[in-house]
Formats: sequence, C-alpha cells, structure tokens
Amino acid sequence: MENRPVLVELLYQLADDELVIGHRDSEWLGLAPHIEEDIAYASIAQDEIGHANMYYKLLEELGEGKADDLAFLRPADERKNAVLLERPNGAGTYLENPEFEWDYTVARRLFYDLFDAVRLDVLTRSSYTPLAQVAAKIRREERYHLLHHTTWFKRLATGTDESRRRLESGIAKAWADLGGLFSLGGVPTSEVFPATTTDLVDRFTAELKPLFADVGLAWPAPMLMRPPLGLDGRRGQHTEELAALLETMGEVYRTAPGATW
Amino acid sequence: MEYRIFEVFVQKDHGSPHVWVGSVDAGSADDALLLARESFLRRDPAVSIWVVEQQQIHRTDYEDKDFFARESDRAYRMLSGYNKANAEKWRKYKKNLLDLEKDFVKD
Amino acid sequence: MPQVSEPNDEQRLAEFMARIGRGEKIEATDWMPDEYRITLVKFMQMHALSEVMGALPEKEWVPKAPTLARKLSLMAKVQDEMGHGQLILRVAEDLAIPMGKNREDLVNELFTGVAKFHNVFHMPAPTWADAGIIGWLVDGAAVVSQAALLDSSYGPYARVLQRVCAEEGFHIQHGESICLALAEGTPEQRQSLQEALNRWWESLLLFFGPAETTSASATILLKYRFRTKTNEELRQKFFTKYVPRIWSLGLTLPDPDFRWNEATQLWEYTAPDWSKLKAIARNQGPLSQYRLGLRRMSYEQTRWVREALLGGSKSQAV
Repeated sequence: MENRPVLVELLYQLADDELVIGHRDSEWLGLAPHIEEDIAYASIAQDEIGHANMYYKLLEELGEGKADDLAFLRPADERKNAVLLERPNGAGTYLENPEFEWDYTVARRLFYDLFDAVRLDVLTRSSYTPLAQVAAKIRREERYHLLHHTTWFKRLATGTDESRRRLESGIAKAWADLGGLFSLGGVPTSEVFPATTTDLVDRFTAELKPLFADVGLAWPAPMLMRPPLGLDGRRGQHTEELAALLETMGEVYRTAPGATW
Repeated sequence: MEYRIFEVFVQKDHGSPHVWVGSVDAGSADDALLLARESFLRRDPAVSIWVVEQQQIHRTDYEDKDFFARESDRAYRMLSGYNKANAEKWRKYKKNLLDLEKDFVKD
Repeated sequence: MPQVSEPNDEQRLAEFMARIGRGEKIEATDWMPDEYRITLVKFMQMHALSEVMGALPEKEWVPKAPTLARKLSLMAKVQDEMGHGQLILRVAEDLAIPMGKNREDLVNELFTGVAKFHNVFHMPAPTWADAGIIGWLVDGAAVVSQAALLDSSYGPYARVLQRVCAEEGFHIQHGESICLALAEGTPEQRQSLQEALNRWWESLLLFFGPAETTSASATILLKYRFRTKTNEELRQKFFTKYVPRIWSLGLTLPDPDFRWNEATQLWEYTAPDWSKLKAIARNQGPLSQYRLGLRRMSYEQTRWVREALLGGSKSQAV
C-alpha cells in the first residue's frame, strides 16, 4: 500500500508512547498518595496498556509481527516513544527505595494527556481507516484521563504553598523534555497524519495556557516552538533509563519468546 | 415553610445495600423519613431508610457520555474472559485424576 | 405508673447476644459491647491492611508480566485488591469513630506495628510462577476464608464482603490461567511452577492459622458469630478444593506424607513450623520490613499531597 512505511512509523510512535507511559504508571501501584487514588490511577495505567495493544495489533495486521513481540523484543534504539514518557517516576526503582514524585507525575501526565487529545483528534482524520476508528475509541477513554489529571493539577496548584512549589518544580522538570512529544520523527505531514508539529504545538498551547492562567501559574520559558533540544525519542534517541525499563519489561518474556504464558 | 426535596434510599434487608427509590417533598429530614415510608414502602419490606437533601447530591452530566467510556476490550478483567477456556482445560485434567484415584474429587 | 428504667449494660449485653444467636445483623448505629467493637475494628483493620499489603507481592510482577494480556490482567487484580482494602477500611473507619480513630490512625498503626497484616503477604515472590500460584492458591485460600465471613453478624462487613467475593472469582480464574499455561508449557516453565508451589506450600498451610487455638480473639470471633468456622475447618476445605486439581496437573506437594484418611474423613498433613507465625507477627518475616518500608516510604513522601487535598482547597470532599 502507498504510505505504508509512514503509517508503520506513526503506529510505532503511538504504540510505544502508550506502552512506555502505561509501564511507568504501573510502577505507582500500591504507592499512590491515597487508596482511592491508587484505584483510579490503576485504571488509567490499564487503559494505556490497552491502547498500546490496539496500536500493536494494527501493526500486526500490517505484517510487522506479533503484538507481544513488538512490545517486548524491540531494542531501545528502535523505539519511537517520546523521551518525556520514559523518564522514571523519581529516584530509585519501583522495587528498591521508590522515591517517586507525585508532582512530576501529575505534570508529565497532564502534558501527555493534552498532547494526546490533540494528536488523537488529528488521527481521527487519518486516511487509514482502521487507525481513525481506533483513535476515535481511544479518544473517548482519554477524556477521563485528562479530567483526572487536570483536576490534580488544579488541586496541587491551589492547595498548599508546598504543593504549589512542588508542582512548579515538577512542571519545570517535565518542560525540559516536552518538545520531544511534538516531533514527528520520520513521519511527514500527509493524509495519514494531516498535521504539522506547529499545528500540534499551537493547539496544545491554546489548551494549556488558560489552565496555567486559571491557577495563576507562570507560563514557563522558553516557549515550546523551539525544536526539541537533546534527545529525539521519535528518531530512536533514548536515555539509559529506557534501556533499563525495557530490560525489566522483557525479563520474563525473553526467557522463552514464542512460549505461551 | 418551604418544601425541600429529599432523595430517598431504602435498604430492603440486612444483606442488601441501600438503593435509591425516589424522592419526597418535605419540610425537614425527619418529616421526609416519615413520609418516605408511605411513599415507597406500602408493599415492600425494609429495614432502613436514608434521606439526603437533593442539593447535597452531586452529579455527573448525562451529556458527558465520554466520562463513562470504556472502549477497550475488557475481557482480561472479567470472569467470562477465562472461565470457559480454563474449564475446558480442567475437564481434560480431571479425566487424568479420575484415572489415578477415585475418592478425591469433591467440589 | 412505675417508671420503665433504662436497660443497664448487663441487660443490653444479654439482648445483644440473643440477637446474635438469632442470626440478626448488627449495624453501625446499634448499641454493642466495647469488646465487640474493639475486636471487630481490629479484625477488619487487619483484613483491609492485608488487602493493601497483599497488592505488593503481585505488583512486583506487573512491570515484568510476559504478555500485554497478563500485564493488564495482573494490574486489574492488584487494583481490585486495593479496592477491597478501600471498601473494608471504610467499614472499619465508621465503626472506629466512637473510639476516636480515623483512617490516618488506622493506617499509621500498620507502621507502628500495632496493626498486623496477613502472614502470607510477608513471603517472597521471586519468579513469574509465584504470581500464578498467588493468584490461584493464595486467592483460593482467601476465598475459602472469606466465605466463612459472609454470614458475619456485623451487617456492613457482611454486605461489603459480597462484593469482594464476587470479584475474587475473576482473580482465581486469572491465577488458574497463568498456572495452566505454565503447566502445559516448556519443561522450564513446568519446573518453575513446581518450584513456586514448593515455596508457597508452607505459607498456604500457615494461612489459616494454627488448628488448636485458645487465643482470646479467636474465641471472641466465634462467640460473636463474627466468623463461623474454625481454622482447621477452613484449611481442610482448602485441601479438598485444591489438592485434587494440583495433582491432576501432575504437580506434587512437598509433603510426602500428605494423604486422605478415609477413616477420619480428613486430610492428613505434616504440620508446618507454627513458630514462624510468631516472627511474622513481630514483622520479622522474610519480607515484612521490606514491604512495610515501601508503604511507609510512599506514605511519608506523599503526605504533602494529602495535605493539599484536605487542607488546601475550600469545600472539597476527598
């Protein structure tokens, strides 16, 4: 088919994004700020893995291989997720001294959810119908995620002096990697993905700026329009942290790929 | 006196949770409890009634359908996602067991 | 006309015990003897905290789950366990109000060691097969145990347990599914399953507690019809339900003397080392301190979040 390489590249971006953030989300199980939040957050993590599965299945249909193999076996330099999503939740690991930062998680998740809402809207207009249909479904589920993280953003921003200060620090940390979300990597603007990086950034900014204004937070500088500094995950440039994540994720799978688990 | 609206929740027996059944207009919560008994329990047994003033109820918006959207396949978390496949396998193994010993299969 | 005097505590107690004897349910707002309230709060607190701590051995395996489907399924199970903890903790919280305790207090008692969590969750889960055994047999043991609580005299607890037991059905199927896949898999997968079973067998015996118990609280639980079966009855029920299935897969128990005694109509088994329960009760089990450490660390580190939710914004209920 025409555009197949572009479509495949795009699908890997989508699938890898959801898989990596879902994995990071799942590290919070049992460690969230309170029990009710732990329960709600676990649904968000499941949704992301479910979405990753939907995208990997589209890749499977295009002949790329089995969904689980694509998720578990590909090395770090072939992954197309944005670097923002592979960053750890904090110091330590989920097993050893997890010094996880809720402020960073809220900031990172809000930014990703907003970005994803913009991206999904574009995807519903993709010329590749199976993708447009999957995107429409996912967008409906992501609505709850955005509501959840927007609520948290506001709570922390307007809660106590300490929560506001911490949120600002989490925002600053996430902001450093934010540009990488908007890179299209090897995917040119076309009928498969009818938008440019600038379109995405503009729409994202239009959604996020009022939220900052609402809670009286200063808009961080520099502005997003600058091309991403540092690593572009969409071009396979990743951190050590992704390699460690993939090592953990595939640890059991790799003992017998092809076996039934 | 202004009527206030009270939403009514009835618990039919001690094994069941309270369930919403409707609402009454009343001047106070105590009045609402008395009135609810006749509005809703003329034929049905119950062990408890709660009334909550309507303005204390917070609600989701019917228009916001996406709030409830569950689009991904959720067989992975349902009994129905497993029990048939598992049951087939167990039937196979149960045969094994009956061949070995007679007396242990008590479920 | 003579004054009707207020019932004194002795009369109230007699009537209370009569209600229990008739199988009636006690509700949160009823009069109850202090002993009932205190014992119940402690029992439900332990149950709730056990659900929450019980999430930890399994969540270790979510990041390493070997397929996307298993990753999802295990996450759903862990989520349910937290959910059960939440449901039961709420029931305990309501009953503890007259004792001047709130959720913060009940959770803090876990960290100070006053409140315990179930012995089975102090044990290591070093391989994927352990996640399967936990889902199948530990949850299986929990279901056997919880079934004996469904008829509990305390109404709110009995009602909440209906929901809990319904969800446990999926957990056991999930655990079975993992174990069946391993049992039918490569020789290494089969071996890992047998090894996990060998590792967990003693814990499964210990799960139900010692057979002969004259502990004060065990007596109280039966007296108030809070729980309706003894430890040994539950353990025997567990054997009847699960041992044949274990054997049907060609797995062995690490107890060569385990057998059915036709004469006594009971399973005979080699007694586990009951003294291990004492160490666990002091939070000196194999992973007690590690797991408590994780919860304590996360609880401390997110204190500022709870403060923002509760102290900060106006008119927001959590």
